[in-house]
Amino acid sequence: MEEAKRAKFPVSKGAALVVAMLASGLSQAGWYDSGKVLATGGVSMIDGAGGGGITPWATITGYGTKEGINGDLHYTYAPLANYTLHSLGAAVGFWDRFELSYTSSALTTGSTFDTVGLVADTLGGVTGSLAGTPINTGIEPFNTTIEMESIGAKVRVFGEAIYDSDNLIPQIAIGGFYKNNKNEDLLKTLKADKAKDWEAYISATKIFFPINTLINITARYTAANQTGLVGFGGPDGSDKEIRPEISLAYLLRKDTVIGIEWAQHGDNLEGESVEIAGLDLTGLQPTLEALGLGNVSGTLTQHESDWYDVFVAFFPNKNLSITMAYAMLGNITITPDQHGFYMSLQASF
Amino acid sequence: MKQIFRTIAMIFVLCLAASPSFSQTGKTETYPPIDSDALEQFGGPEGVRNWVESLFYYIMLDNRINHVFREFGNIERQIYLNTQLLQLVLGGNEVEYQGASMAAAHADLGITLTQFNAVVEAAYNACERIQLTYEACNLMIAGLAPYKHAIVTR
Repeated sequence: MEEAKRAKFPVSKGAALVVAMLASGLSQAGWYDSGKVLATGGVSMIDGAGGGGITPWATITGYGTKEGINGDLHYTYAPLANYTLHSLGAAVGFWDRFELSYTSSALTTGSTFDTVGLVADTLGGVTGSLAGTPINTGIEPFNTTIEMESIGAKVRVFGEAIYDSDNLIPQIAIGGFYKNNKNEDLLKTLKADKAKDWEAYISATKIFFPINTLINITARYTAANQTGLVGFGGPDGSDKEIRPEISLAYLLRKDTVIGIEWAQHGDNLEGESVEIAGLDLTGLQPTLEALGLGNVSGTLTQHESDWYDVFVAFFPNKNLSITMAYAMLGNITITPDQHGFYMSLQASF
Repeated sequence: MKQIFRTIAMIFVLCLAASPSFSQTGKTETYPPIDSDALEQFGGPEGVRNWVESLFYYIMLDNRINHVFREFGNIERQIYLNTQLLQLVLGGNEVEYQGASMAAAHADLGITLTQFNAVVEAAYNACERIQLTYEACNLMIAGLAPYKHAIVTR
């Protein structure tokens, strides 16, 4: 019921709401606060929540303490071998207790799916003329783009990540995302089960000052393929599973943090081929061979790898953070070795 | 869902029960423990004194918090007591803390977390001012951090 309600909630209005709340937080001086110590607001992860680069932390985004509201605008750019991710959004932290975020991601796929497009076109020429129905794979002739919106909410449940150095209780937060992937046709071609879905997570974050280290452990309950950029679930449905994520950060200076992250990914589409007009390409092997495209179905097998990254985050002041990372995302759909640089900017108020 | 919350609450209570009580008259018990040579890293009692003087220099320049310390009066006395306190939490045992308890000293001041954090920022600036390593500075942060509960009352 709750999910249905949220699904109907227009996403663009959600974004407007976040911006409006951000603006109201700014205009009402009594609400505004930027009292956290430099860097302790964390950076923005690609789904928009406060955290590391790919993992949400238990910290609430922005520099607001329990005395006020603060927020950020964030932009992430990750040019990989076959894809480029642009992710732009806003997030607001309320009284260091709640967090709301909105992020719009665009994954341009360059020439990745040109082979699929070629096959579809060729098949379209053959089967289309037979069946009389055009094939829509969601693949444009040039620069196919996957767009996704993520709305996130997080609540800090208990614990103190920073100052409770005399006990081992971490800061715990629970949160969730509602993600709406807009290239439904391409997701169908890639055999994902759903284009819209929610995911939930619980994060535990703690700083250990005597060893200058921050540890975050997150368990995410999700059915996402590549965080949802390749939809949710696969041919066997979209049952969610719990996937662990870990961030380890070393505090190098009061304004510089380096670290590594790992996020487990699923295998909903592992070993699957692509599907065109309801037909798996494997089943089309004889047709493809007749067309001289015999090896296509083999090279179009999908895989998904766990994500890793190595990052350095720099906080020149409380209004800006710059994160540079090397992201190792492995196999993404039909292309292997998707590694590359990652840059994320966060402006706080 | 209810059961998850109950489990979380139980773990929370167990952790609280297991955590040691914080004592003001000695080295702060942190996880992991503060280095055994923390006081030496700080440059001994003299280094601590330099740091505290430097801390008050930055505090008195910060308009968010200087009035609180000014109202408290006798900055020299505050520097003296803080020097004793920091030596103790870093593991020095040659010194006796002569001030009131942290809770008693701050009870009526209505210190906010924002003000507490401003002192932490001044503390980092003071570390840089006396050329202390960031790692040694974090030993001090670890040692003083638990006082937040006694100091922040609003």
